[in-house]
Amino acid sequence: MITKIANWFDERVGWKAVWETIFLRKIPKVNWLYTLGSATLFTAVNQAVTGILLTIYYVPTPDHAYDSVQYITTQIPMGWLIRGLHHWGASAMVILTVLHMLRVILLGAYKYPREVTWFTGVFLLLVVVGFGFTGYLLPWDQKAYWGSSVGTRIAGSTPVVGDWILRVMRGGPDLSAITLVRFFGVHVWVLPASLILLLGIHMYLVIKIGISAVPKREEE
Amino acid sequence: MSEKERLTRRDFMSIAMWAIGGVIGAAFGIPAVAYIIGPAARKQEDQGWIRLGAASKVELGSPTLFKSKIEKQTGWITNEEELSVYVLTENGRNFTAMSNICTHLGCRVRWIADQEQFFCPCHNAAFAKNGDVVSGPPPRPLDQYQVKEEDGQLFVLGG
Ligand code: HEM
Ligand code: FES
Repeated sequence: MITKIANWFDERVGWKAVWETIFLRKIPKVNWLYTLGSATLFTAVNQAVTGILLTIYYVPTPDHAYDSVQYITTQIPMGWLIRGLHHWGASAMVILTVLHMLRVILLGAYKYPREVTWFTGVFLLLVVVGFGFTGYLLPWDQKAYWGSSVGTRIAGSTPVVGDWILRVMRGGPDLSAITLVRFFGVHVWVLPASLILLLGIHMYLVIKIGISAVPKREEE
Repeated sequence: MSEKERLTRRDFMSIAMWAIGGVIGAAFGIPAVAYIIGPAARKQEDQGWIRLGAASKVELGSPTLFKSKIEKQTGWITNEEELSVYVLTENGRNFTAMSNICTHLGCRVRWIADQEQFFCPCHNAAFAKNGDVVSGPPPRPLDQYQVKEEDGQLFVLGG
């Protein structure tokens, strides 16, 4: 029965070929370090799922942000779990992204023909860091407020344009309601959209080019 | 075991992968459902006895409107809400307290004294003095509160 439905769809949609190219593609004999990219992808999915769940209670305004976060962690069933997964997942994602990049560097996987995969990776790293930076302010507690206050001031220490960057980031000279909403908007719209776009290219190239083999000695 | 039925390494890995995927899916899915339906599954907090006002204000034989403030907790916000109750007495000793919320779709009804009826503007319903439906779509009489009188003050049991 299930095979019948599957075949019915395959005939019209051709999903089997897609499935095969994604999941049944041939790869060289590699080691566990090559799973770091997939591990990062897993944390990305975790962040997306738990992040979407958080937005159904979280309110990005100075008079509600803190209370709504407290409400999630103390009143909503499993709220502590969802927030905890998002909180710790954020750190895990940064660490895994960096480890994945180190593997690519150390095994020389960035070389021809994978330069574009590397370029998209560079922007993915920026997106991941951006997520961390904008997400940090959202709980609107003391740590968040002063952390972002310092963070934006660091950006503000750039020569010549620094003050202007600081004002754009904060939406004015001070950390305010405007800062909170724009960080929220960037965190839940701009960065996810960029992540999906970049990851799409990244994964397309990984599949299209095939992953690199472990470098070998010449004689072997 | 015949050659055909033997579980290949490939099949085993495939089954293991689906199983692990299923466990991870459930580990996210089940808490997610609890998280989403949480506020809906929550019991409404009891309001206890709410003071309406002096029993002497109720006119004999004519529903009298009392308004009192109650505090409602919604999520992390505490709101002041107005509770409107029509109190009716025929003898000054036994009181009936009726909600002013139409039993059709929740508009507010209002006592029209010269017609001796409650009237709901939303879909033209009319209720009799005791709350029974006279005409229109409401499925049941106006809801009643439990009332008590103490030291000349009226209280209703909110919930
Ligand atoms: C959101 C973050 C990222 C995700 C989810 C991700 C995901 C992946 C995955 C699943 C692969 C397949 C091979 C493997 O797992 O090692 C891969 C390959 C690759 N990634 Fe990433 N990646 C991310 C960030 C980066 C960064 C920051 C860089 C470097 C700047 C990078 C450069 C590459 C390169 C060059 C390959 C090809 C490796 C090869 O063919 O052996 N990626 N990525
Ligand atoms: S809501 Fe009162 S008649 Fe429909």
